[in-house]
Amino acid sequence: MKQGAPAETSREKSEIKRPVAVRARDLTMDFGDGAPAVDRASFDLETGRFLTILGPSGSGKTTLLRMIAGFQKPTSGEITVNGHAVDATPPHRRSVGMVFQRLALFPHMTAAENVAFPLKMRRYDPRSVPGRVRDFLDLVKLGDYGERRINELSGGQQQRVAIARALVFEPELLLLDEPLAALDRKLREEMQLEFRRIQHELGVTTINVTHDQREALVVSDDIIVMDGGRIQQHARPVELYRMPENTFVAGFLGVSTFVAGTAFPGGLKSGDLHLSGTHAGEIAEGTPVRGAIRAEQIRIVAAPDSLATCDTAFPSRILDVIFEGERLLYVAESDRLPGVAFQVYHHDTEAFDLYEIGAQVTIGWNARDMKIFKSTA
Amino acid sequence: MISRTQRILFWAIVWFSIVILSVPTLIVVGASLTAGNIISFPPEGLSLKWYGEIAMARDLRGAFGRSIIVSLICLAVSVPVGTLAGLALTRFRLRFTNAIQVYLLLPFTIPLIGSGIGMMLVFGSWRILGNVWPVGVALAAINIPFIIWSVSSSAASLDGDLELAAANCGAGRVETFLHVTLPGVMPGVITGGLLMFVLAMTEFLVSLLLTDARTVTLPVQIYNNIRSIITPDLAAVSSVFVVIALFAVWLLDRLVGLEIFLKSK
Ligand SMILES: Nc1ncnc2c1ncn2[C@@H]1O[C@H](COP(=O)(O)OP(=O)(O)O)[C@@H](O)[C@H]1O
Ligand SMILES: [Mg+2]
Repeated sequence: MKQGAPAETSREKSEIKRPVAVRARDLTMDFGDGAPAVDRASFDLETGRFLTILGPSGSGKTTLLRMIAGFQKPTSGEITVNGHAVDATPPHRRSVGMVFQRLALFPHMTAAENVAFPLKMRRYDPRSVPGRVRDFLDLVKLGDYGERRINELSGGQQQRVAIARALVFEPELLLLDEPLAALDRKLREEMQLEFRRIQHELGVTTINVTHDQREALVVSDDIIVMDGGRIQQHARPVELYRMPENTFVAGFLGVSTFVAGTAFPGGLKSGDLHLSGTHAGEIAEGTPVRGAIRAEQIRIVAAPDSLATCDTAFPSRILDVIFEGERLLYVAESDRLPGVAFQVYHHDTEAFDLYEIGAQVTIGWNARDMKIFKSTA
Repeated sequence: MISRTQRILFWAIVWFSIVILSVPTLIVVGASLTAGNIISFPPEGLSLKWYGEIAMARDLRGAFGRSIIVSLICLAVSVPVGTLAGLALTRFRLRFTNAIQVYLLLPFTIPLIGSGIGMMLVFGSWRILGNVWPVGVALAAINIPFIIWSVSSSAASLDGDLELAAANCGAGRVETFLHVTLPGVMPGVITGGLLMFVLAMTEFLVSLLLTDARTVTLPVQIYNNIRSIITPDLAAVSSVFVVIALFAVWLLDRLVGLEIFLKSK
């Protein structure tokens, strides 16, 4: 599904075709206890781009990353980095920098010694080491903290040391295994932007792993959504959000309401109710499907006639009102679709307490916003 | 909230423990300072004459020297073995880890008199009894669980990805071990080593069985002297032991910090 992604951000306007840095083909890791942890994963990553692998816990993200770093030998499949097959290369001979989930900084060394370590191990000219260490500590804004021991640094500062250690030998590839997961939200968001800035400054090809959809959307050029060891979709952030290819992706990013039914041309049929919508790909009439509609694409009003612009509208009753700070989330149910709890965002800050629990309202949406997918289960 | 009664009870227990633990030491140190000729507490007058006596006593001095040698041999054996065993049990995924762990802790479960007699028989048949070094090896064997435990607990507190991070930085297996794993567990090695040294200095039962008149170590020598007459010089020797132990604790604090030692499980 690569048709004409619109130029979304400034970075993506320059659509020059760049060489492929990482190529994975049918990468599989089977630990022999049930389903494979990673199942035939194939993707290309262009030089200098920031790819995020997004998926729930246990979906195989770390395993995929560890195969690329060389810590785990794939059961089958192959990886090339800048055109060279790396399967036979031991981890310490690969040009890959990694920031670990729990950072794995060396506790008996200072910040500067941690950053110098890869240079010593990789036999850099000893005279060049101190200057290089200083440059990279400056890059992560830790210029004055080189002599501190690791346990004398705050969580955010330790993150920065780990980034400097992973980048100081100018690897061909940077891997980030959820290093921000343990931070509190404010610091996490700050560090996300730091990752962006540093990646921008050095132009290093990066693979980031996370289960945080917000982080993926904010920092990435490309996103791969994984579930159960399989790649579900590989796309640009906006494309992924607007055009999910299956129910998993639709459900994982954003908040959606699902309606089960059977396909018919131009929509789906649930009981004797026909809902118009947009089919994701070719779906034969009568196939079991699920329609997904995002919470921000449903409109909610008191009087039916003010929804004249919507393709679909019907009366509903408010089941719950949830205050989320910058917006309200209404949960609404209609007698015409029993058992479906519609989730509706409401942003009108002027009229925040418009509807109470039990109030009769009308909800509606446009056919193009109702995405219809083949049922997987 | 802690109630008043709880607080009183708490402090009572604390003080009881402190007194119980320190009274024997205080009495021995006090008795060693006596100016009289029989061991007594409180001492009759104050003098350091018994320290002069033991410094001059050839048998005690010889035994002290042998104890130092035995302890150093014990260290030379137990530090490498205990460190590698402690690391193997925690940092590598081995088969039979549990079985190995139980096997290495066996010395704890066998009464010292049992292992002492066993080693006496074995060393006897090997014709090495009568030397000083087998005593050091024997003490390493019976106390080895202490250093394994100390290294393991230090290793367990290290991040499990540390070796992978080292590999990622370009370090091969040997470099990873020398530059990352070993320095990482150094607090445990130092703690365990000092513990082994102090234990070897003061071990009595097994040493009694493995030594004779020519190879007698300090604790055994003290015991021999008690059997004839109890004089204040024994209190002075015991005080020297106390000083050695205090020195070990001070060294530990300087090298790794006591709080690390106390925190380790
Ligand atoms: N060394 C291993 N041995 C056996 N199973 C493993 C191993 N590592 C990971 N797994 C399994 O592989 C699956 C994916 O794990 P992981 O890659 O860590 O997921 P994620 O990083 O997405 O949370 C999980 O079911 C996990 O239990
Ligand atoms: Mg993971």
